[in-house]
Amino acid sequence: MASLELKGVRKSFGSTLILEDVSLTLDAREFVAFLGPSGSGKSTLLRIIAGLETADAGEVWLESFRIDPLPPGERGVAMVFQHYALYPHMSVRENMAFGLRNARVPKDEIERRIADAARVLEIEPLLDRKPGEMSGGQRQRVAIGRALVKEPKLFLLDEPLSNLDAALRLRTRVELAQLKQRVDAAVIMVTHDQAEAMTLADRIVVINDRTIQQVGPPMEIYNRPANVFVAQFVGSPAMTLVPAQLAENGDYATLKIGDGTVVETRVPRDRLPPSAHFRLGLRPEAVRVVGSGEATSKAKVELVERLGERTLVYARLGDGQPITAEDQRDSRLKIGDEIALRIDGAAAHVFDADGAGYHRTGA
Amino acid sequence: MAADFRRGRLTPLGWAALVIGAALMLAPLTWAVLLSLKDNAALVGHSEAALHGPYTLDNYVAIFGNSLTTRWLLNSTIVALGQTAGVLILASLAGYGFARLDFPFRRTLFVIVLIGLAVPSQAVILPQHELFAWLHLHNSYPGLILPGLIAPFGVFFMTTYMRGIPRELDEAAMLDGASRWTTFWKVILPLTVPAQSTLAVFTFLGAWNDYWWPLISATRSDMYTLTVGLAAAQMNYAQTSGLGYLMAQAVFASIPIFIVYIIFQKQIVRAMAGTAV
Ligand SMILES: Nc1ncnc2c1ncn2[C@@H]1O[C@H](COP(=O)(O)OP(=O)(O)O)[C@@H](O)[C@H]1O
Ligand SMILES: [Mg+2]
Repeated sequence: MASLELKGVRKSFGSTLILEDVSLTLDAREFVAFLGPSGSGKSTLLRIIAGLETADAGEVWLESFRIDPLPPGERGVAMVFQHYALYPHMSVRENMAFGLRNARVPKDEIERRIADAARVLEIEPLLDRKPGEMSGGQRQRVAIGRALVKEPKLFLLDEPLSNLDAALRLRTRVELAQLKQRVDAAVIMVTHDQAEAMTLADRIVVINDRTIQQVGPPMEIYNRPANVFVAQFVGSPAMTLVPAQLAENGDYATLKIGDGTVVETRVPRDRLPPSAHFRLGLRPEAVRVVGSGEATSKAKVELVERLGERTLVYARLGDGQPITAEDQRDSRLKIGDEIALRIDGAAAHVFDADGAGYHRTGA
Repeated sequence: MAADFRRGRLTPLGWAALVIGAALMLAPLTWAVLLSLKDNAALVGHSEAALHGPYTLDNYVAIFGNSLTTRWLLNSTIVALGQTAGVLILASLAGYGFARLDFPFRRTLFVIVLIGLAVPSQAVILPQHELFAWLHLHNSYPGLILPGLIAPFGVFFMTTYMRGIPRELDEAAMLDGASRWTTFWKVILPLTVPAQSTLAVFTFLGAWNDYWWPLISATRSDMYTLTVGLAAAQMNYAQTSGLGYLMAQAVFASIPIFIVYIIFQKQIVRAMAGTAV
């Protein structure tokens, strides 16, 4: 059975259209990340699902019930707010009990659920504290606990990690992943951090420009970006896009770029639209710094970024086209060096004039 | 200096200024207390007699010699508590409405409230008198209490305070299945306690000290409040004799206020410093 279903959801604030024709189906127990730049409408979509905003058009279904006419408290969803929104005057225990009391859950059942959640989240010693007497990380766990005890059909998390420092964020990420295994519900997490989305989600929903750009498992989003936006938004550093001309005939597209380099891709040629103008998409790992023997192109180093496990080289091709390449970790390159690059056509992507992406078969 | 003061540190100059200021404030109060403890006859012509004994409680005993004094004390208490409770309830509800609900003419109504801040009570006292006469509410507790419930400041104050409470809390409560009333009563209202106590103190003090309206509305002596009653009983407008008795009345009337100040010291300081808003 499908968990959440969005059908043609549209929303504007005043005359500004924020979301247009958003449709999506979540599988049971699926963990989905809404990924997109700030202001792209991720929170708005989450709030429409929660019932905190009303869509102008479209329907929201949860486990075969239409929920968009229902008030938030009756939808079977629980939300963890970006700033936690814990009730400051209530203890942790009262915070967790509040929703259950409103739902007239029996007292001993409330006790049991709170005890269970507190054990799982390791917040038992905090139960009688107030939010003001806890650290950010502890508040975060309590906020999750408050959602957990409701035993919802769907968890909604709005940027749950964004208020935590780097170390805590990593730890909480792991905990969220573990939590996901325990709950018998679907989870939607809003984030603008692609690493978060990649590590946690079963599927990523990339949102930009009022609508869903692509839905898919993390590696598919990374390996087969549907369009230029997804290609550049997912992956760090961003994919290099190089204007290219279709050259030669053959089963696979062969493209020629500005400095004269010819790249033989593994993208089936018959999939491409009838046009000569394309863009070649290259992730850093598809462009390697090599000895002059294996080189396909020459470039001049503009910046060397040593990341420890790998070294990124920002360079310019002969025609001035910027390109990001990868060198081995103990690279000795420095700014201004002339280098030889090998562009791996098998790992290259092709984008047409409208921005749609084409990829090698398989993989 | 203000910053130093907040950190609990003071320059010697600062200390001196505070001590002198406090002495200036305390001097007339001390003088009033001393006078109230003197026999009236001893003060005729030379009030400096208050600086030395013999002291006596006769003046205070005399206050209760007037059979109506306790009644006035009771009236003042009922009126002040009634107004305080009423203002808190109305200002909280109205404040929540202005801060959180969407209804027609909300902005216009709020502007009217703000205009209400600028209308002095003297400007409306005549029509108010007529109205209460027409309603037959003079010489009654409702008559004394009701005008005090017109509290534009309270509404403005609670609206501002509630607007400062993050909306995420209301939304969390909605998701927790709370009704509007539950959200107001269990989530928002408890968070306004600091504002409530500040408003309560000021309303109570204002009601207790009010003189003009009870003077107009209460014409029967058993409906006087303490301020009106003590003034009426005094009858000694020149204040040449009976100085001790006069001061005893003043001291007596301010005892409840003194108690309120002691209990709500923290809230009053906070309100004065403007940090409660
Ligand atoms: N209540 C609102 N009124 C008007 N505009 C809003 C409101 N809420 C959000 N917006 C606008 O809608 C857009 C999407 O916002 P949001 O959903 O919060 O984005 P995201 O969560 O992806 O950063 C933004 O441009 C924002 O300014
Ligand atoms: Mg957001």
